Amino acid sequence: MFSEVISNLSLGLSIAASPEGLLFLLLGAFVGMIVGLFPGFGPAAGIAVLLPLTFGLDPTTAIIMLAGIYYGSMYGGTITSILINTPGESATVASTLDGYPLAQKGRAGPALVMQAIASFFGGTIGVLLITALAPSLANFASKFGPSEYFLIIAIGLLMLTTMMGDNKFKGFISALIGFAVGSVGVDVMSGQQRFTFGSPELIGGVYFVAVAIGLFGIGELLHCILNGQHRQPAEKLRISFRDKEFWPTRKDFAESKFTFLRGSAIGFLAGVLPGSGATLGSIIGYSVEKKVAKDPENFGRGEMRGLVAPEAANNAASAGAMVPLLSLGIPGSGATAVLLGAFMMWGLQPGPLLIVNDPEFVWGLIASMYLGNMILIALSIFAIPLFVKFLDIPYLHVVPVIVLLCVIGAFAINASIVETWILVVSGAVGFAMKKFGYSPAATVLALVLGSMAEETFLQSYIISQGTLSVFWERPVSLILSIILLCVVLAPFGLKLAQRVFGKTEKHLAHQK
Amino acid sequence: MKKWFAGGLLLVAVGYTIYGGSTLMLYTQSGRPAAGFFPLMIGLLLIVSCSVNLWFDVREWLQERASGSGHAHQPEPAAEGTAEALGLDTHTIDGGQEHARDVVIVFAYICGFVAALKVVGALLAMIAFMLVFLFTFDRSRPVTNIIYSLALPGFLYWLFKILLNASLPLSPLGF
Repeated sequence: MFSEVISNLSLGLSIAASPEGLLFLLLGAFVGMIVGLFPGFGPAAGIAVLLPLTFGLDPTTAIIMLAGIYYGSMYGGTITSILINTPGESATVASTLDGYPLAQKGRAGPALVMQAIASFFGGTIGVLLITALAPSLANFASKFGPSEYFLIIAIGLLMLTTMMGDNKFKGFISALIGFAVGSVGVDVMSGQQRFTFGSPELIGGVYFVAVAIGLFGIGELLHCILNGQHRQPAEKLRISFRDKEFWPTRKDFAESKFTFLRGSAIGFLAGVLPGSGATLGSIIGYSVEKKVAKDPENFGRGEMRGLVAPEAANNAASAGAMVPLLSLGIPGSGATAVLLGAFMMWGLQPGPLLIVNDPEFVWGLIASMYLGNMILIALSIFAIPLFVKFLDIPYLHVVPVIVLLCVIGAFAINASIVETWILVVSGAVGFAMKKFGYSPAATVLALVLGSMAEETFLQSYIISQGTLSVFWERPVSLILSIILLCVVLAPFGLKLAQRVFGKTEKHLAHQK
Repeated sequence: MKKWFAGGLLLVAVGYTIYGGSTLMLYTQSGRPAAGFFPLMIGLLLIVSCSVNLWFDVREWLQERASGSGHAHQPEPAAEGTAEALGLDTHTIDGGQEHARDVVIVFAYICGFVAALKVVGALLAMIAFMLVFLFTFDRSRPVTNIIYSLALPGFLYWLFKILLNASLPLSPLGF
């Protein structure tokens, strides 16, 4: 088992460490860090917008570059959290709580270095766990039938929507919209055309890249404009690693040694669970660290552990999210959904057999994550002054870059003006969804998984002769059905418990 | 606006279900589910959930109108969830003054850009979009705007057309 993993990793390293692989990994990581710097523009948007740039590459190199953008944006998102109290994306929000107070205390340098080390630690632990878990999970999942697959997709989508605070219902509608858009084109079972309105360009279905770029790229951009980012002046910041106060002290490392481990473990678990991802991982990582600390009152006032915990967690979660993607072919977040769409675009068949049929691709990607983390820690520390300079660019000048990349990229995919208009419409819908509390990520996830969900559901329906008994007759299906029920009922149970305990507390207080 | 968007979604859901129901078969002759089965399920779920959603949004609007308050800004779900978990005000994460007029302007420019793509070609359409956009929002630096409007489209044209050999629409002048 161990020797097999080592030989697979060697195979992956021979691909990822090639000059071409390293060049595109470095490029992806660099661009990802820049993507992470701009608030409101997360990894999903970054990958979607830059996807057309990888069309000329072979699939492994392209996905290595996109994966570099994915985890590079996690590293980059924290820089603004620490320096200007503005998280680059939601997964780095928890890092502002102690990161910004640290910068205010004059410890921006140590905070940036420690976040880079924590990100490296979390990312590397995450990749080690992927190496150990992904093949076993894929092996286990190879025995899954259509009912298990359908249930996993349903659980993933439901978890994604139930993680949305008060907007669970709108998240559910967002997923249904994705399924509806995914039903356009030729039916996989019968070959009949659906919702094509006689347009030959819709026979192949609504191409997910245009929708993803529209929802994430144009939608996010319009939302940032609504919030007035284009009217804000650029931040003029200067930081140099030659400064004496740039480096963390021994005390910082000594105090945080277990925080690295705790944050990574929590983050990885959050990442593996479909739907929860890096945002929740970083928040739980922070909360747990505060709970176990002997001095919780220091958190929020510039405590290094309060920065290390969410940073280790969000990077471990990014790696963890790759486990269901690589072993089951099921993404758990918007960013991994776009990656899955990219897999399909290059003709790869995601699922448990991916690791068997395309070992060079899977192990090349996993090996690139090890290398990517090394590249990113070097970039994060020694290129901080350079990345800080990017903050000098006013958002007004970033807007045309995003628009041109989105429009030209969407057109270049199939030289189709219809798809370019789909991008524009998706942009408007994505903006409205963001503004009114819907989830573009759930829509993209459902769009990408739509045909698989339909196929597996109909197969289960046919196998059980219309009774759907297959969902509880097979042991794994039964367990998954129970989990699905728990996911559906948990919010109601929690509300009920809050009401009952709330009433009891009030009653006790009244008696006193 | 929120309730109008919810209403629009309901209309689309009804249209999707009716069109699917009238053009697609539900079952094959052998009694198996056909092409219309899954869309009908999704359509019905959409109609029910969009109706409930519209009801919630209208009720919220009526409550706001009755109390004389209104939501100036609808927080984004991620920020809302994060703020809730951290015990912060969502406004600190995702708030601020709204610039709805600018959104309309930028969106109109994007539509104009896409409409012009096939007419004047990708390069000229990109340059025109950038000039119009930059001079709308920042007239204080005309030279920078012009240089940037030529340099960025030039670079992207080179990247897509020459380096990646992508198919981009050409202008009547052949570039």
